[in-house]
Amino acid sequence: MTLALAVLLLTAQNPAAPPAKLVASIARLFGPGTRVDTLRVDTASVLRVSRADSLLGFAAVGNVLGKDQPITFLVAIDPADRLKDVDILVYREPYGGEVAYEPWRRQFRGKSAGDSLRVGKEIRSISGATISVHAVTRGVRRMLSDLTAWHQSGAIR
Amino acid sequence: MRTLVGWGLFVVMAPCPLQLLAAQERTTVGGYGEVHYTNSTGPKTPAVVNLARFVVYLAHSFDERLAFRSELEVEDAKVEGGQAGGEVALEQAYLDYRLADWITLRTGLVLPPVGIINETHEPPTFNGVDRPGFDHDVIPTTWREIGLGAVGTIPGRSGLAYRVYLVNGLRADGLSAGEGIREGRQEGRQASFANPSVTGRLEWARPGVKIGGSFWYGGTADTNAAVGTGTFGAPVALLAADARYERGPVALRGVVANISVSDAQAINAAYGRSVGSRIAGGYVEGAYNLLWLFAPESSQKLNAFVRHERYDTQASVPSGVTRDRSLARRITTLGLTYKPTWNTAFKGDYRLLRNAGGAGESEVLSLGVGYQF
Repeated sequence: MTLALAVLLLTAQNPAAPPAKLVASIARLFGPGTRVDTLRVDTASVLRVSRADSLLGFAAVGNVLGKDQPITFLVAIDPADRLKDVDILVYREPYGGEVAYEPWRRQFRGKSAGDSLRVGKEIRSISGATISVHAVTRGVRRMLSDLTAWHQSGAIR
Repeated sequence: MRTLVGWGLFVVMAPCPLQLLAAQERTTVGGYGEVHYTNSTGPKTPAVVNLARFVVYLAHSFDERLAFRSELEVEDAKVEGGQAGGEVALEQAYLDYRLADWITLRTGLVLPPVGIINETHEPPTFNGVDRPGFDHDVIPTTWREIGLGAVGTIPGRSGLAYRVYLVNGLRADGLSAGEGIREGRQEGRQASFANPSVTGRLEWARPGVKIGGSFWYGGTADTNAAVGTGTFGAPVALLAADARYERGPVALRGVVANISVSDAQAINAAYGRSVGSRIAGGYVEGAYNLLWLFAPESSQKLNAFVRHERYDTQASVPSGVTRDRSLARRITTLGLTYKPTWNTAFKGDYRLLRNAGGAGESEVLSLGVGYQF
């Protein structure tokens, strides 16, 4: 009980709030000292990341439903529309958290909207995390395709 | 239209895309189930069809951190007074409080995180119509008890996840020669908390790989001083290890477990049983997705699998008990699992039930369907 209370106090002080995580995620993916602009496409928000007038890429945040909770993820692409990385910003369920592991997320790097991204084929699953693996893969596929389409149509540039 | 903002403003603006996921109450319904056809060899064993499990999953999130999760199960389709079989039971019912990515506090009716099947028991997740015999007689799935604990995944590169609980203990008066600790479970029904027990698991994951180790330790004596006294009177100590591997068309899995019942002699004297002082065994299973050969572009699966189990609920016996060699079981299962989607399965298998005593051996043909959503 004492341990539980101690943990409660420790973590309640500074819950890793989503915006802080988003800032950290952008910094991790694109390096420090970047400029970030928020672009609007229809109802979506896209983050444009640049440094000294050169475009580094785009990123967007999405949600997919896991077993009973939304999983909040970020997809970042480079100026050539290749996927830079996926980040799990908020994972709320007690099982399936393995989708946040770097070795799993790494499988998406370098993929383009034209590439096929299927669980069990290009994306290896994780036992005990099947629902989250399918959900995040579906979400990433859609987000990558949206970002690519917006970039190629000039909606974001 | 482009809105230009710098970092300072960005931090203020940043919540916008995330605002969509602001805490809101939400109720989720899901479920799983399985229907079996079982035909055993031998005289007077006609085929049996059974709606083995129908489970409703009900969850509710109260806010961003607090959630309730439950599974309500109907076994064998219906329950009627005076008839064998049939059960309505809660398989899980607990509250989760998510403190951080690496820790969620949990309390209620929980699943001891032992082996593979106990926590991940939805029919499309395993091959074979029935769960392995090992997951009935050695690890007594679906095992659930009341208590509290913590679960979490360590983010980043470690690949580690853990679960640890303090729960009510098993009851010595339910232990048996053939089914080990199975009927010692209390399953949340007016359970005695005379012997609190601890159980936990540490697992390591990579894409396609999961390796886990689990334990259970706790007394079973309840109020019977002849069996044992103190919190850990007549302890049951379980250790288990499991591994799962998937690559392309190949899927392998294996589990081993060892259970020590050090005071089996006192338990047998008190309740007239022949409980083994050691219960041990395991299985290995290999599967190959045949569609990988015939339809490589398909995301469906047709797994051909073979599983071999060896376990003995009297691996050791205390003095006064003559070992029943027919409890040293060897079960080989050959079968097919067709999965049109990842969460549905049509199954067929043939089981060869053998034992070291050579008594009551048989073969069983089973067909089944299973789903989860």
